[in-house]
Amino acid sequence: MRPALLLIAAVCVSAQSAFTPPRLPDGHPDFGGIWMAATLSAAFNVEEHAASYGTPAGPSVIVDPPGGKLPYLPGMRERAVDNDQHRERDPVGQCHMHGVPRVMFPPFPLEIVQDGNYVVILTETEHGVRIIPTDGRPFLKNYSSWNGDSRGRWDGDTLVVDVRGLNGKGWLDQAGNFVGAGARVVERFRLTAKDILEYEATVENPSVFSRPFTVRVPLRRRPADVELLEYGCIEGERDAGHLPPVNAPLNGGQR
Amino acid sequence: MIRPALALLLVTVPAWAQAPSAAKSAKDAQDLRGIWQAKGNAYRNLEAERGVIVDPASGKIPYRAEARSLADRNFQARTTADPLLVCFQPGVPRATLLPEPFQIFQHQDRVVIVYQHVHAYRVIFTDGRPHYDDGIEFYMGDSRGRWEGNTLVVDATNFKPENWLDAAGHFHSNKLHVVERYTRTAPEVMRYEATMEDPEVFQRPWTIRVQLALHSEPNFQLIEHECDRDAQGVYRHPPQFLK
Repeated sequence: MRPALLLIAAVCVSAQSAFTPPRLPDGHPDFGGIWMAATLSAAFNVEEHAASYGTPAGPSVIVDPPGGKLPYLPGMRERAVDNDQHRERDPVGQCHMHGVPRVMFPPFPLEIVQDGNYVVILTETEHGVRIIPTDGRPFLKNYSSWNGDSRGRWDGDTLVVDVRGLNGKGWLDQAGNFVGAGARVVERFRLTAKDILEYEATVENPSVFSRPFTVRVPLRRRPADVELLEYGCIEGERDAGHLPPVNAPLNGGQR
Repeated sequence: MIRPALALLLVTVPAWAQAPSAAKSAKDAQDLRGIWQAKGNAYRNLEAERGVIVDPASGKIPYRAEARSLADRNFQARTTADPLLVCFQPGVPRATLLPEPFQIFQHQDRVVIVYQHVHAYRVIFTDGRPHYDDGIEFYMGDSRGRWEGNTLVVDATNFKPENWLDAAGHFHSNKLHVVERYTRTAPEVMRYEATMEDPEVFQRPWTIRVQLALHSEPNFQLIEHECDRDAQGVYRHPPQFLK
């Protein structure tokens, strides 16, 4: 195994260094464009999951810890399972913004716009917005919101974004995995090919998890003529609870 | 590649063609970046705020007769019927007039406006691509822009008919066509004009003009305006809104 792994690592490193990203006049890589998660699996469930009603099977997107499971503290996984049984609680179903990192891999496109000291991320779903200053300014004090307060910096050709001020109410996916109060996220964005933006997020949230964990989701560039459409989800929506239960047969619920 | 294209543009746009250096200064003037906010209280009632409606000279919205009575009914019901109260995206030009900041970004072929209010945004292409077809409707409309000198002219169509133009119940149909003109008249001042045309509701086009001020406070930023419903079903906006 060792030599094979080393070989793979060597190939990966050389592939990374071989790709030179397109650059803006300021020298930073140009992430501009419309992107969408290359796999929708993460939107359904960041962990490996079998197919179930409304959810296709998919692999884990958790690259750390090894094994691909969320390192929940005792009792916390039960809360996630309970969420899964009550998806009407999903904040996104109530048309709130996704929170970080979920906001980066919804099953809808998002647009990245770079302008001077800002990286702006617009999500089609929930008409979500993240404005990420990269000018070194301090975080807001006493701030709490769905998408948090983001500060970016360039580490070579990688955009590193620190996120604080998350409201602790966000879910990680449709399956009810969640983050809690005090979560901090460090994201890394890097072009690994012309049309692939690799996204990694490390979540540190000691009130819910026994250790930090990292998800990795590649985003794929959409064609140049794709435009974001307006997403007419009115924040405060509460009708999801009137839909049939998750596991109900198609004709078994009241509509 | 950019330089020859600009030079070509200079030939076809006489206003810019004064001298080679005019190209650079004209391009520099096409800079609306920053966090802006409307001065005054036009958002409350377009007709009641002196000087907001600059055409017609009466300062009144030129409603068709039957539309004026509907506006009056809206006014009577405004404390409950205003679509903004229930978290709708505000539409155009109302988004510009609200007592909340918005931020303008520019990148190559597009201008992006992010409104703090319910995190509405518009991506305004300036590369000449056409509007969506009729029948596709959006709360924020479909916006296509072009530069006339240092004025950004935005043509907005494809609106949903539910939105209001202000908190007083002034309204439009899905035939609304707005032409907005954004002109930076000083480093921290922008003139905003919008002409509304809607043959189902108005007898003729009419125009508003509002000054926008740049937020130049250090590290000023938009914050999240979450509009939500509480357990009693009452919609809640952050305290800085609806004052």
